[in-house]
Formats: sequence, C-alpha cells, structure tokens
Amino acid sequence: MDGIAADIPPKTHPAVEGVIVSGAEQRSEVFERAAAESLIGGYRTLPGIRDEMMDQDGQPRRHWMPFLAALAELGSEELRRRFSAADRYLRDSGVFYRVYDDTGGGERPWSLSHMPLLIEDADWQVLSAGLIERAELLEVVLQDLYGAGHLVADGDLPAAAVAGSPEFLRPLVGIKPEGGRFLRVYAADVGRGPDGRWWVLADRTQAPSGAGYALENRLASTRALPDVSRNLNMQRVASFFQALRTSLMKLDRTGEGRIGLLSPGPLNETYFEHALLARYLGFLLVEGEDLTVRGDTLHVRTVAGLRRIDVLLRRLDADFADPLELNSGSRLGVPGLVQAVRMGGVSLANALGTGIIEAPALLAFLPRIATRVFGRPLKLPHVATWWCGQPAERAQVMEHLDELVISSAFGRALPGLPDGGSVLGADLTAIDRRRLSTLLARRGGDVVGQDIARLSTTPVWTGEKLTPRPFMLRVFLAATEKGWTVMPGGFCRISSAPDARAVSMQKGDRSADVWVLAEAEVADTTLLPSSANVKVRRSSGTLPSRAADNLFWLGRYVERAEATLRLSRVLVGRLAESGDSGTSPLVTRLLGLLGAWGAMPRDLARATPARYAVAVLTRRDVPGALPQLVQAARASASVIRDRFSPDAWRALVDLEACVDAPIPSAPSEADAAERADAALRIIAAFYGLASENMNRLTGWRFLELGRRTERAIGTLRFARTFGEMGAPLGSLDALLQVADSLITYRTRYVMMEARGPVLDLVLLDPDNPRSVAFQVHRMANHLKVLPGRDQDAPPPLWERLVARMQAELAASTAESFEPAWFDAMEKMLMELSDEIAAHYFLQGHSPEMTHSLSM
Amino acid sequence: MLYDIRQTTTYSYQVPVRVVRQVLRMTPVDRIGHQHVIAHILDIDPDPAELEHGIDFFGNGLTWLTLDQPHDHLSLTTRSRVDVTSTALPDPAETLLVDDVRAAALEEADLGPDAAAHGLFPSRAVPLDADITEWTATSFRGDRPVLEAGLELMHRVYEDFTYEPGATHVATPPHEAFAARAGVCQDFAQVMIAGLRGLGLPARYVSGYLRTIPPEGQPRLEGADATHAWVEIWCGPEAGWIGLDPTNDIAVGDDHIILAVGRDYADVAPVDGVIVTSGDHRLSVGVDVAPVVR
Repeated sequence: MDGIAADIPPKTHPAVEGVIVSGAEQRSEVFERAAAESLIGGYRTLPGIRDEMMDQDGQPRRHWMPFLAALAELGSEELRRRFSAADRYLRDSGVFYRVYDDTGGGERPWSLSHMPLLIEDADWQVLSAGLIERAELLEVVLQDLYGAGHLVADGDLPAAAVAGSPEFLRPLVGIKPEGGRFLRVYAADVGRGPDGRWWVLADRTQAPSGAGYALENRLASTRALPDVSRNLNMQRVASFFQALRTSLMKLDRTGEGRIGLLSPGPLNETYFEHALLARYLGFLLVEGEDLTVRGDTLHVRTVAGLRRIDVLLRRLDADFADPLELNSGSRLGVPGLVQAVRMGGVSLANALGTGIIEAPALLAFLPRIATRVFGRPLKLPHVATWWCGQPAERAQVMEHLDELVISSAFGRALPGLPDGGSVLGADLTAIDRRRLSTLLARRGGDVVGQDIARLSTTPVWTGEKLTPRPFMLRVFLAATEKGWTVMPGGFCRISSAPDARAVSMQKGDRSADVWVLAEAEVADTTLLPSSANVKVRRSSGTLPSRAADNLFWLGRYVERAEATLRLSRVLVGRLAESGDSGTSPLVTRLLGLLGAWGAMPRDLARATPARYAVAVLTRRDVPGALPQLVQAARASASVIRDRFSPDAWRALVDLEACVDAPIPSAPSEADAAERADAALRIIAAFYGLASENMNRLTGWRFLELGRRTERAIGTLRFARTFGEMGAPLGSLDALLQVADSLITYRTRYVMMEARGPVLDLVLLDPDNPRSVAFQVHRMANHLKVLPGRDQDAPPPLWERLVARMQAELAASTAESFEPAWFDAMEKMLMELSDEIAAHYFLQGHSPEMTHSLSM
Repeated sequence: MLYDIRQTTTYSYQVPVRVVRQVLRMTPVDRIGHQHVIAHILDIDPDPAELEHGIDFFGNGLTWLTLDQPHDHLSLTTRSRVDVTSTALPDPAETLLVDDVRAAALEEADLGPDAAAHGLFPSRAVPLDADITEWTATSFRGDRPVLEAGLELMHRVYEDFTYEPGATHVATPPHEAFAARAGVCQDFAQVMIAGLRGLGLPARYVSGYLRTIPPEGQPRLEGADATHAWVEIWCGPEAGWIGLDPTNDIAVGDDHIILAVGRDYADVAPVDGVIVTSGDHRLSVGVDVAPVVR
C-alpha cells in the first residue's frame, strides 16, 4: 500500500488546525511530527511485521500524523480522562459479550482499545472494490451450488469439498430464494500482509456478527474524541445501515414494513448485538417460538394475533432454523420454515445454506472459480489454501508442514490433533505428525493446509504509551438494488499477544473502532438511534406476545420489589421510632405480610426487626426476598432489551448492583434503611426512564398493566392488614407509609390518622396515584386501547372484570371494608391477570412444553 | 418378489393437541435395479388441513402435513404394493481395492442424490469414532477388494453384537452401541457406517422393510415386525452402492424393500415433527409385510 500512498500528493489537513491552535495560522507537517513525537517516541514495531501507524523507517505514516498531533495536543492526562469516558459509555449502555466457557455462561463487558485504526480513503477504495467483487463471486457460487451444479459437474470444485460441509443444506437444493439473492449481508475478515496488501482471511456468510459492535465502538470513540474525529473527515457508517434496511424493506410484500431479526435468544454470545440492531434498524426482535408458518407464509405471534412477516434478518444458524427438514433436535427454529422458503413465502437474509461459503476447503478453489467466472484472478487475494482431499495437495502440505497452518476443512474438530485442528505445522510433535499422517491417508478431505498470515500491527493505548499489536478487521457489505455497499469502517479485533493467530472475542481480545478518512469533508449524518435518519416504525399491532409477557412480568416484579422495600423500611423505621421489639403486634403484622410473599426466611426465629429487614433485603436463597425479585425482573428485561432505552436498562443493572453490594456483617437499622432508600430511588428512576423513554405504545401498556396489577394487589393487602378494625397502634401510620401516601394525607387532613380517611385515601381516592382505584382506572384505560379488540363484539371478560372493580370501588365507603370485600377484589385482580395472560401471551394454550414427534 | 406392506403409526396425546406440522418419510419409491412401486396409499386420521407430497434431496418420498384442529390422536397408515427384483451381487474378489475406492470417492464429480460424496463425511447421527474406526480397520487393508472386506465387517458385526431390543433407543450414538456390543438394526447399521467413514469409505443408511414370513424351511429374520435398517457401501464408480444387512449377515436381496436412504437415521426418520402440549404422548408402530402369491 506504500506505493499507493506515494501517489497521493502531500496534503495539509486544514480541519485539524482548529483543534491544535485557535488562530488561523497554518501548521506545517513538521509541527505535527514534533507534537506526535511525544506519543510515539517509544513505539517499536515488530521485526518483519508491517505496522499501520509507522513506516519501515520508523516515521509515522502521513494519514496518522494529524491524528497523533491532535492526541498529543490533548496531553496524556486528558487522553486518559477521555478514554475512560469511552469505557464508561460502553459500560453504561450495557454492551456485553456472552462468554461460553465462563462458569454460568457469564456476560463480560466489552473491551475497547481506544486507539482507532486509521485507514486512508484510497487504500479503503482498493479494499472495498476487492470485497465487492468477492461478494459477487460468492453469490455466483451459491447460486450454482444450490442450483445448476455446473461447478461440480465441470470439475472446478470437487463434490466432496461441498458435501463435506455441514452447512451444505440438502433440503435447500433446487430452491431459488425469494428476491433472487442468497447473500444480502456479507462480512470478510481481512488482514494486511507484510507487502502492504489486504488479504482475506475468512468469509462470513452465515449470519455475520459484529456490525452492531462496530456501531457501539463508533459511538464510544467519537464520544471520547468528538473534535478529532470530525476534523479528520472520518466517514460515517449510518448510511450502511440505512442501505441494509432499505434493501430488506423492498422484500416486504405485506406493505406493513415488518421485518424480523431472528435471534437464537439471550443465551447466544452476541445477543446484545441482536437487540441493539433490532432497536437501531426498527426491526422486530423475534425468536423461533414467536413465529409460526401457516399455509406457505410466516407469521409472528403478537398481542393482536398472528401477523404476517415476509422478511427475516437471520442471526440463527441455518441448521437450527427448522426442526422438520433441518436439525430435528432444534428448539430454536420454526417448524415448516424451509417449506415457506420453498414456496416463496418468506425472504431470509441471508438465505438458508449460505454458511457453506465459510468452509475453508472452498478457499482452495475460489481462485479457479474466479478465473472461470470473471475471466481473471480476484483483485483481492485470500490466504493460500490447499485442500488435502487431492493427492498432489496432500503431498505438498506434508512436505511444507513447518510453513503451514493445519486446519479443519469444514470447521469440525480434527480428531487427535491439538485443539481439534488449527495448529501451526511447526508446533506439531512427532506423535501429532504421525496422527496427522494417518488422518491425511484415510480422510484427507477433512484437512486443509494454509499459509501463515503475518498480520500487520496497529497501536493500542496501554494507559501509558502506545504498543503495536496484530489485528484482524471485519468489513461489512450489504446488498442493495444498485449492488453491494460497504460499511466505511468495521470491527477491528486486536490480539492480546504479539502472535496474531486466532483473534477472537471469545478469548478476551480487544476491539477497536475503524476510521476511514475521507479526502474531503463528510456530510454530517448522525448515528444516534434517537435521530430521525433511521426512523423506528413499530406499529402497535406487532408486539410479539413473548415480549408483552415479559414486559408485564417485569412490571409486576419491579413493583413487588418496591412493595417489599417499603415494608422493610417501615420495619426498621418502627424500631427506631418506638423501640418496638420483634414481638410487638404491629411488627408481627409487617412480618406476616412479608411472610405471605415468601420474602421471609423460615430459619430466623425471634430475631430483631432489623435482622428481619436485612434478611429480606439481602438473602439470595429466599424466593420472595429482594435479590430474587430483582433477578427475576432483570431476567424478564434481558429478553426484551431491544425495547428499552439504554438508560432504563442501566437503572435495572444499578438496582441489581445495589442489592448485591456487601452489607456489614452486623448491620444496623440504619444500614438496612439506607439500602432500602437507595434501592427505592433507583426503582423510581427506572419508572421515570421507562415512561419517559419508551414509546407509549403497546409494550409500555403491558409494563404498566403489570405494575398496576401488582400495586393494586399489594395495596389491598396492606389496607386489609393495617386498616382492620382494632389493628394495633401505629397501623394506620404504617399503612400510609407503605402506600407512600403520608404526605398526601398530612396535607389533606391536619389531624391524627383516622381509619375512614386513611382507607379512603389508600383505596378509593381516584386522584391518589397510590390508591387501588387509581390503579384500576389506569388498567381500564390501557385495556381499552390494546390491539385485537373487536369493537362490535361484546366486551371480553377482562373488560367486564375491570368495569366490575370500578363500580365496586365507586360504590364503596369506609364501612364496606369487610374481609369479604378484600377477598372479592383480590380475586378479581388475580382473575384479570390470568385473563390478560391467557389472551395476549399464551393465545389459548396452557403452560406447555415442546415435544418432538420424531421417531 | 411382490409384497403388500402395511404400516400403522399412531400417536396418542394425553392432552388434545391443536397444531401439528410434520414431515413424513413413509412412501416407498421406485429404485432402479431393485424395486418398483405398483401402488401406495397413505391414510391420515384425523383429516389434515394441509397435505403435500414431494421428493427429498436423496430421492425419498416426502409428505408435508399440517393439522390445525384439536385432536387427541394421529394415525398414519400406509399400504404399498412393491415389486422387488433381486440383483446378483458382484463377485467380491473382483471389486475395487480399498485404496482405490477411497481415492475415487474424493475424485467423483457428482453431487447428485446417489453421489458417493454424501456418504463420506460424519453426519448428525453418525459422528466419527476412533475406536470404531480402528476396530473396522482390521478388515480393510488397502490392497483388499472392498466388498470382500465389507462382507467380513458385516459378519463381524453379526457375530460380535447381540441383537437386543431395548438395549438402545432411537437416539443412541454409535459409540454407545459399539461399547455395549448390543443394539438393534439401526445401531448395527450406524456402527458400520461410522467405521467405514472413519477409513474414508462412503457408506449410507437405508430404512425399509423385511419380509415377515420366511420362505418355507428358512428361519425368520430379525427386524421383520418393525421397520428395518441396513447399510449401503460404495464400491466404486462401476459397482456403486451395495446393500449389506448386518442384523442378518446377508447381502440385500429380494427380502428387502427400501423406504428411504440417507446419511444416517436423521435423514430417513419416518416422522419429524414438533407439538406443543402440556401433556405426554405415546407412539405405537405396527408393520406387516406379506409376499403376494402371483
């Protein structure tokens, strides 16, 4: 690439000066170099390895200089501050990567290398053109493999090099995808060799991941260096996502603009990205169980019934997509999906079967196929590969073993070899070599030999200085009506060790943002999801039932947590105020309420109220205690993350952190009270963020319904326990406290608590946002406007239940509050909750399991 | 030989099931050089909402089925009349050498339904297994005619393994059956396939039926009252696929009616489907194969 760089006349960077000096004085390159020197003084490139920032003479490359100068100008103190701001951004927005080998499959925060990878435009154009050509070739290969089969019949591709791939999906042979294309999203892992050329290391065609992470890295890095990125004419990536969205939208024939992002679910390593992309692109995040094939078309189960969905951005591996014709053991797919594809009822991006391109065996034949298809070699080379299913290639690989990497030809582990394959030939022991030799003799088709890629390095910031590390760059392409479009940027993964083999996020490497520097100023299209350039369109009818279910229960769990906290707070408050012992009648009632919810540990007998409160707040082994409630809330929220603002999600994470924080071994009432106060503040923040930042559409209504149902049930129980005739002294005060209505009461009645006014305020007052009447009115309002309600039919049971409760509340006075009244009200609320679930969530099914009928 | 075959498959559900989608592989088709299907009827009770017939990648008869009304049972009954012609087995000593078959399998420029390449690689139900491969290898010297070695391997499975219904189940992996040296036809077939593939030799799985009533004076064969399974080994471009039945230690002849072929059981399972229910379900299968007197 040096050759190309040399063709570009030296240029100044007029935009950069704004950062460096306030005046109009033109800075020379000499000055930039001097400023940069402070950053790169100790930077030592690796011998024989190309570096992205430094040339072979130890001089910074031209396109890095304005950037380095700008960083130097900021100073290392300011840099540290800004880089930690980027880290904070990623942490706060909840960017996680699920790690499979962690015990419990934990989530790990994203690790961003703060130095972006800088690529100049001319260099980028060469890479882009090469990748576009490659994408076109791969489409031709897929069309042929699942179509006419000329490549195999004519001997350009051995049949066994195709048949060996687990991603050669035989049921898909002969099916032309609706819309004509197999590939709609393509990603390539590329690296730069010592000669400065870009090389393709691997193709990603199944369901490429990383575009969403690239987006997050961009947001984080531009947050850290906003002025710098702007002044360097960094190209924006938003247009890529728009192009992808537009091209998928064209496949929708329903005219309703509904596109699903099919995810395997929250246990997948990149689930965060699925949620992020769904939110960013305005797609429905769906899992297999949300979908059903009826006739030859695909439908999503929503709260308004089945809705047709024509287009899926597929992040589920194809083999799992249909238990009828693909992997019958899959519980993640949609029975009948292949048949829907066959009949043209649904378009998948990418089509089922595209994963076959990822088989390393194919790399051995692409050069030949390219010559056949284009009449010339590929513009962009890929790592040289020999498939050992051929005798000559097999001999070649054995002969040059020390200079090659041995890998599985189709991604399956190679038996008997270290790590199941992907080993440096030079690292093989004598025993390994004998095993390899037997394997090659018997099953040579399983093995490829590949050249060792010597990846170039890019600087990473270690907190003190810059150090070179090898990297791999994933570049993303989207098919549009006018051909392929390339995301100007990408997902750069940086090896944690100087050896660049096997860079993967699973192994704890870092990622970096990628800046493609344009020659001229870049139009200022913003990336932020809140902006109008990617318009979220989510009609109220397309809330999947599963999402509604989780929102409803999220509302219930958070509200239950709040009630538990309020009870605990009263419990410790009682003690502090009056010196009550654990056996006072009022404390007994408080404990009774907590016990009824399962929040009380059974192993605590005759403890002090403070100890009870602490147990309720901290015991993880007690099903109804706070930690498990918060965990349940977060579990519900985690499967619907696409529906939350990052801030609302953050509040839930904070709540969990608050509950998990260590508490002194001999906690005082003050400690317990402090914990309860802090948690209540976070819950208030969550509700605020949820109602401020969630669209007031169907999803928000289900969250509200859950919260209102739970609050009504809780308040009824409090009122019954503390408002009973002959309740112990202080009960009414406790009731006002747990119902958070003390202030309202005091401002309205300048007097001591009296049963009539207190119960009226807590149960009947429609203006008190804590009263049962208020909850029921809100529920009535939500239920009225939920979709799927046939206005001509008689009102459904849940509407009649709400109407009955409203009438009951309107007709009641403080004298009505007999135990039977409370029983009847609570029963109606429970029935209402069940009715909502039966109609909107389960759609006529009872709690059930999926069974395989396969035999 | 002319056969009338009747198979009944019945699912009973504890709790009525509303929606069922299934794929059936229950329809025998013509196989050149082995069988001709004269008639075939599939009865489904209750009546399906959607029903479609087709052919899968390997050329097997495929039926797509949807029921969308609540039902507590599902009965699938097939009746077929099939004419089976016995073809003479090639002289084992004249078949290609093992090394040559291995080389030819990688060179074939064929990806069609009967291509050798499909039988060459590990598949969903038959992963490669080092122990099975080494056990198999003793029969397969490189310079030995492949069918000679194949017949020996079949005989070894027949001798070393115990036919024991209940010892395994439909999803038992080959290495377990191998370790126990016991199982049923499916296990024997899959063990043989795993061993052959481990050595780089194409092998595939066949499901079908076996005549129930033996000819006079001959013993009744194992696997006759249920669906049966056996192996086909690829003996080179000329000889092609040759059927071996390790359960009975015989080469496939006119006692065997082919239902479906594939890489393993997963490719030929008679039913694939999913139901969503809170209850349990039971399955019963009955097979009757009667030679027709002409």
